[in-house]
Amino acid sequence: MFGQQVVSGLAAGSLYALTAVAVVVVFRNTRTINLAQGDIGMIGAFLALLFIKHWQMNYYAAMALAVVACMALGVLIERTVMRRIANADWLTLFTATLGVFYILHGVAGWVWGRDTKAFPVPFDPTPVEILGTVVSFGHLTNMVWAAVIGLLLFMFFRYTKQGIAMRAVTDDPETARLMGIPVPSIVTLTWAMAGFLAAFAGILIAPIVYVSPQMMDEILIKGYVAAVFGGLYSIPGAILGALMIGVAENLAGGYLGSQFKTATAFVLIVALLAIRPQGLLGVQTRRVI
Amino acid sequence: MSESRRLGVRGPLPGVPQSGTASVRDAERKRAAIASLQAGFRRQNIFLVASLFLTAALAPALPFVEDWMSMQASLVIIYILAAQGVSILTGQTGLVTVGHGGFLAIGAYTSALLAKYFAVDLSLSIVAGAVMAGLIGCLLGLIFLRLAGAFMAIGTLGFAFFIGTIVNNVPIFEGRDGIQMPHSRIFGMLLGDTGFYYVALAVLALTTAFVYILLRSPVGRAFRALRDSEKAAESSGVNRLFYRTLAFTTSAALTGIAGVLNANITGYVSAETYGDIWYSVDFLVATVVGGSSALMGPFVGGAFIVMVPFYLEQLADFAFILKGVVLILVLQFAPAGVCDVIAKPFRDLRRKQLQRIQDDVEKTSPPALAALFSRGRQ
Repeated sequence: MFGQQVVSGLAAGSLYALTAVAVVVVFRNTRTINLAQGDIGMIGAFLALLFIKHWQMNYYAAMALAVVACMALGVLIERTVMRRIANADWLTLFTATLGVFYILHGVAGWVWGRDTKAFPVPFDPTPVEILGTVVSFGHLTNMVWAAVIGLLLFMFFRYTKQGIAMRAVTDDPETARLMGIPVPSIVTLTWAMAGFLAAFAGILIAPIVYVSPQMMDEILIKGYVAAVFGGLYSIPGAILGALMIGVAENLAGGYLGSQFKTATAFVLIVALLAIRPQGLLGVQTRRVI
Repeated sequence: MSESRRLGVRGPLPGVPQSGTASVRDAERKRAAIASLQAGFRRQNIFLVASLFLTAALAPALPFVEDWMSMQASLVIIYILAAQGVSILTGQTGLVTVGHGGFLAIGAYTSALLAKYFAVDLSLSIVAGAVMAGLIGCLLGLIFLRLAGAFMAIGTLGFAFFIGTIVNNVPIFEGRDGIQMPHSRIFGMLLGDTGFYYVALAVLALTTAFVYILLRSPVGRAFRALRDSEKAAESSGVNRLFYRTLAFTTSAALTGIAGVLNANITGYVSAETYGDIWYSVDFLVATVVGGSSALMGPFVGGAFIVMVPFYLEQLADFAFILKGVVLILVLQFAPAGVCDVIAKPFRDLRRKQLQRIQDDVEKTSPPALAALFSRGRQ
């Protein structure tokens, strides 16, 4: 029972981590609390569904296409909305992403309707037994996907020129600019990465929560809770936070009753912020934004 | 008091004439002229707002106004009230909140439960809703005492979700089935649509007067000082703990009142409406669109948020898109809000009037004295 809850908690947590990491990446490079993060993924899930259902595409091809589309959407948001107000205070940036949130919500509802739609899975959904715990195959694939994406991100930040430039912009945009890093392109790249992560989050969660305009609302807030756990600046912190929230809410759901499942994340965030306002791994001096 | 004493300098200031001389009398007359001009501006402001309320009060008697409009107008008033709450916290104190839907829910459920189980009058219900939301706001303010910026936004968002989960799951709130309230009464009288409109309008008049007085008082100055720089405010003796909590409490109480009215307008509350974050988001958007630090900001923003979906009733999704587009355009082209754009020509005119007197002073007074006056320009 306990192991079971922990494993499904980790599976859920690995999906929250995709959102949490994107939140951190965008925040630390652009000071933007991106509320549209979830809805970019929602659009991605709708697109993937469209590709699979109407264009009869293969699951993986549809996924790849949707990911590319979401990256383009991220770039579009940056170019048309965020770039013009890049130097404004963070409330302006935050409210602008709210505007994007409204627009994406409206577009999805307008084009695809408000009712939920099932999302096909490409594999056999029977549970498998590993080390004494029964794991649903869906959970397992999600965890594998999340791990692969995490590894890709790690390699990107560690070994590629763009990744290193991105970290430089995070540390000190002004110095980075003086060292010849094209900061605006790096910001665009940041939003593309947000789209990339959002698409995976949306498509991987789609078979569980079904596809609808409001499908990502709860994932988004949990992604945020996770990001804040890590102090909003640290990617490992965000991943750790996401896994912790996934496990905590599954344990609460299993032992206290399912109605406590969602509340757990919010109790955790309120408690954490009251005790450690800068997040679990946060740096005190970075708090002022 | 002589000018040198006022500046805390011993002995006469070089270049500054002593009091009683002609130039000082002249200058003091002009200082009085500036003060009276500013008082005139304030009277104009109050007159404008008062005539707005008077028009709203007389509106139901006009021939082309139909009954259903009063429902819609009441809804606008509710949004204005809630946005006033948000603007105290976000616009004045600089604490961004995405959680005021939670306070709306607290006010609404307080009223619904009181009406259902104790048949409490609406007048008492409004007070109870304000107190309840205020208390929880005070508590939240204390819990989030050390939060700033983005963390505050996420914390309050978490609070809204938390309240949503509670009303969904705790039995007394009856979840998605909702609570059906008896017909609202105020002072024992049954309320129709127009009657409700008048109650809402009266409440709004009171809160607007309250907000106006609050923001012009030392308390309002303390709020703004905290917004502009917490460190500077604290080192000048502003008690951060007290004023932050006070801002939270007042702001929550105002939104709580909006919640009470929102429950009574339909006579029905359920987790369906109060369980998600749309209210919280809408209130923040209303505040930002209207102008978060202007007194009239919530009026413009509240009307915008209510009227856009109303005129696009058949196209709810299109209303979302329109709201988003307008919001982004406002942020890109009028970051201080729509109110600021409307007020700009008037402000420029007033500034010119003030400047004229100021220039007069500078022409006729010795330079050091003019320097003293330029303090009045802020």
